[in-house]
Amino acid sequence: MSEKILLGIVAFLTTLLIGLGFFWNPELPERVLPQAGMAAGGEFTLESAKGPVSLKDYRGKLVLVYFGYTYCPDICPTSLAGTAAGLNLLDPDELAQVAVIFVSVDPERDTPARLKEYVEFFHPSMVGVTGTPENLAEIAKRYGAFYARQPVEAAGGYVVDHSSETYVVGREGQMLSKIAHAAPPDEVAAEIRRRLK
Amino acid sequence: MKRISVLLAGLMISAGALAASADSVTVQNPYVRLAPPNAPATAAFMVLKNDGDKDVKVMKADNPTSKLTELHTHINDNGVMKMRPVAAIEIKAKGEAKLQPGGLHVMLINLKAPMKEGDVVPITLTFDDGSSKVVDAKVMKPVAAGMPAMEHKH
Ligand SMILES: [Cu+2]
Repeated sequence: MSEKILLGIVAFLTTLLIGLGFFWNPELPERVLPQAGMAAGGEFTLESAKGPVSLKDYRGKLVLVYFGYTYCPDICPTSLAGTAAGLNLLDPDELAQVAVIFVSVDPERDTPARLKEYVEFFHPSMVGVTGTPENLAEIAKRYGAFYARQPVEAAGGYVVDHSSETYVVGREGQMLSKIAHAAPPDEVAAEIRRRLK
Repeated sequence: MKRISVLLAGLMISAGALAASADSVTVQNPYVRLAPPNAPATAAFMVLKNDGDKDVKVMKADNPTSKLTELHTHINDNGVMKMRPVAAIEIKAKGEAKLQPGGLHVMLINLKAPMKEGDVVPITLTFDDGSSKVVDAKVMKPVAAGMPAMEHKH
C-alpha cells in the first residue's frame, strides 16, 4: 500500500517536472533560435549574378548556407572568413564536394552583382544570392534564421539584426546541423568532414 | 614674481597634461578590418589600457577615411547579433576595454574610397576630459575568429 502511495508521489513529481520543462520558458519572448532540433530548411531558388540558383542545383554536394548582408561590418566578415579558412583546410577532393551560399537578407542594397564581388573576396567558391523580401522571409523562416531591420540612426540609415549561424545542408538537400558564429577554421573543417562521410 | 607665476602656470599645465585621460590610456594592436569590395562600412578594433587611477571614457572617434565614425557594440541575443551605437566606451582605472570582433568596435561608415591591405588609418579618440589621442590602425584582411590579425605574415 505505502509502495503505491510512493509510486503515486513519484509519478506526480515526474509529471510536474516534465510540465515545468515544457512550460517554463525563462527566455525572452523574442527567442527565435530553437536550441533543440533543427529547422526544416529545404528547397529555395534565389538570384545570383549568374542567374537563378537553387539548392537542388547542388545535389550530391554538402551546402553551407549563411544569411547576412554586405553592410554588415563585423559579424558577416567574421563568419565568412571563418568558413573560408575552414574550406582552405580541406583537400581539393573534399572542397569539390562543398558549396557555400551567402543569402543576403538586404535585397534593397545588395544586388546580385555586388554580392558576387563581396563573397568572392572571402573564397572563390562562395555564391552570393538574394531575392524578393517575401521570398527571403519565407526561406529564412524555414531555415530558422532570423533577421530584422532596425531603424538605428547609424550604419547608413539602418542595421539588420540577424542570426549568425551557418546551416549545413546534406547532399540530398536535408538540413543537418548548424555551425556557430565565429567557429574556428578547424571546427568548420571538422564539421564539413563529419557531414561529408 | 611674474617669472614665478609663469613658472607656476607652466607647472600646472604640465600637471594637467599628466592627468589627462589621453595620457593614461595606451592602445595595443589597433587595426581596421579591410572592407570587402562593395561593403560601405567596416570596423576598427584595438585594446585600450588605462594605467591611470581613474576611470576614463572614450566619447567619440574620428577618422579621415569614412564620412561617419561611431562607437558601436554587438549584443548577442540568443544567437541574433544586434549592432547598436554606444554613447561611450568606458575603460576602468587600471583596467582595459577590448574592442574586438563580435563586440565593441569603432565603426567606419560610408567609406570615401576603397581601402587596401596595409593602409594606415589615423583614428582620433576623444576622451571625457576633452583630451584626445591619435591611433594609427593598419588595414588588415578579415581573418577567422581566434586568429590574431596582427600575426598575419606575408
Ligand atoms: Cu558597428
